[in-house]
Amino acid sequence: MADATGGKVPVTVLTGYLGAGKTTLLNRILSEQHGRRYAVVINEFGELGVDNDLVVDTDEEVFEMNNGCVCCTVRGDLIRIVGGLMKRRDRFDGIIIETTGLANPAPVAQTFFVDDTVRARTRLDAIITVVDARHLPQRLADSPEAADQIAFADVIVLNKTDLVTPEELAAVASSVRQRNALAKIHYAKHADVPIAALLGQGAFDLDRVLADHPGFLDDDSHAHNDDVRSVSFELASPIDPERFNAWIGALLAERGPDLLRTKGILAFAGEDLRFAFQAVHMITDGGFIGPWKPGEARTSRLVFIGRNLNRPQLRRGFESCQAA
Amino acid sequence: MTADHILQTRGVSHELGAYVVAAAFARGGATCAFALGDGTLHLAPRQGGTWRAVAVHDGAALALAPDAGPAGYVCGGDDGTFRRAGETVTDIAGFGMKWVEHVASFADGKTRLLACAVGRQIHLFDGDGSKLKTLDHPSSVTGLAFDTKGKRIAAAHYNGASLWFVAAKTDSPRRLEWKGSHTGIALSPDGENVVTAMQENALHGWRLTDGQHMRMTGYPGKTRALSFSRTGKWLASSGADAIVLWPFFGGGPMGKAPTELAGGDGVLCTLVACHPQQDAVAAGFADGLVVLADIAAARILPVCGPGRGPVSALAWSADGAQLAFGTETGFAALVDFSKQQQQATSP
Repeated sequence: MADATGGKVPVTVLTGYLGAGKTTLLNRILSEQHGRRYAVVINEFGELGVDNDLVVDTDEEVFEMNNGCVCCTVRGDLIRIVGGLMKRRDRFDGIIIETTGLANPAPVAQTFFVDDTVRARTRLDAIITVVDARHLPQRLADSPEAADQIAFADVIVLNKTDLVTPEELAAVASSVRQRNALAKIHYAKHADVPIAALLGQGAFDLDRVLADHPGFLDDDSHAHNDDVRSVSFELASPIDPERFNAWIGALLAERGPDLLRTKGILAFAGEDLRFAFQAVHMITDGGFIGPWKPGEARTSRLVFIGRNLNRPQLRRGFESCQAA
Repeated sequence: MTADHILQTRGVSHELGAYVVAAAFARGGATCAFALGDGTLHLAPRQGGTWRAVAVHDGAALALAPDAGPAGYVCGGDDGTFRRAGETVTDIAGFGMKWVEHVASFADGKTRLLACAVGRQIHLFDGDGSKLKTLDHPSSVTGLAFDTKGKRIAAAHYNGASLWFVAAKTDSPRRLEWKGSHTGIALSPDGENVVTAMQENALHGWRLTDGQHMRMTGYPGKTRALSFSRTGKWLASSGADAIVLWPFFGGGPMGKAPTELAGGDGVLCTLVACHPQQDAVAAGFADGLVVLADIAAARILPVCGPGRGPVSALAWSADGAQLAFGTETGFAALVDFSKQQQQATSP
């Protein structure tokens, strides 16, 4: 699907709590001989030096949009930096943005949906979150950002696996999975993940939404309400698009701050194409993608990642979208 | 007559091979310059002759202004340098890894000033490049402008704008507040109005005499360029599929509809530049079209037809005789509107 991107510059966002190994991973990506050149945007509180031709040092400047969306925050510095980098577009093949350890990933993600000039020239490829296997339980206990970073991830690098026992690792993996049923998880010791598993993911492309997740498990048995977790639903009968739009629109407007990411593949009644839907808080993106395969079960699937998720209520809401 | 008639009969143009970031004319009037995304400055003699490239930045040029003296220019780049460029290139200041995103200059009979914006700071220099002062802002400076007398400098940033007296002994700005991200700034010629462009496809203004707020909305895209007409009657702006002109007279712009010129084909206007002598405005569009519009008569003169990339640089000479423009794909042109020089400028 390379052509579908229309020559837009792929952007990879690298998040992770302090000390998780984010900068090690970044330097690994940059030093590997992959023949691609990256413009790297780092923040001035970076842990280590970054060795690259094109490094942009920035202050993360988050501001609220005056668009009636209470949780819509964007990174103003990124809008300016993307504009500036486009003046020498021939010097790089992609952009990697490293966030501060304490950053909430929502403003970065939303920047790529909200700003027209950024949207026109770039596409968000994936959010990669580096997680320290040993310290994750503590991080989750003492900082909401750690859970947000997992919730927003398309790819999770579970790092420093050599510092924990197999039992501890299994518990950490389960804790990650409970908060994000959709992300790909890679296990690593010194951030040693193949670059191909990180870059060029197209995780935000609509036709890749849920593509790699034929089934998902929900394990919300031990979740507290304010924990980030993911819940998913399937419906075998077709969806009425108007009912779905009315329901999801109202839901996101009301619960947007709690709903970190929403993704779905929907079978609309009388429609042979699959409809892909995704949202970051209240900001939505949707469109028809390829047709259902012959003989394939036309099952609509919807996943919510967020806080205070009322599973029965969400299920009833989704079920009310079925075509009459 | 084709849309390229003016370009062909009165213009000189070149493909420069990199994004044209900005154009400017030297104050003494001998050259015009195009700053490029590859860090070079291309100098075009106004009386004709070979264009010359000068390497200025190790990276992209981000901003350009005429030097405060009669010849040469000042340039900001993503290599963190603020440089003077012309026959030679010299450093005015360096800022490490920080980008020098905006530059401005001022000159009249007695005052010469240079300024650049780096992150949250404006650095102010005299005409020789000696540092005068640093002005701090609550967030990154996204636009920079001197008033027409060189007494004040205005900066756009998040949640408003700041207006500083250049010669003040103690530096405390007049803060103009309005929630949101402000991304560009203009001062009216009489110094009484400050207008900013905003992230939310709107303009915001402050009338300095009484603090009246002005909201100008309805743009389909972000406004990148703001330009007051010489008399201050009109504020021209980009960001719509026409040149949008707000009336700053007869009680306007409050409660008045803007005048729209050269619109109707659904292509976004990317840049505007008011003529320095008359009530006319030049505009560039996303398809490469460049036009000159007479505001009162609402007459449009095509200068350059579409097809050479989105217009990304546009500037008038101070005498209003020549217009320089460039595009994102590296096309650059200098067009002469004066009566007598038609022959001399043909390629």
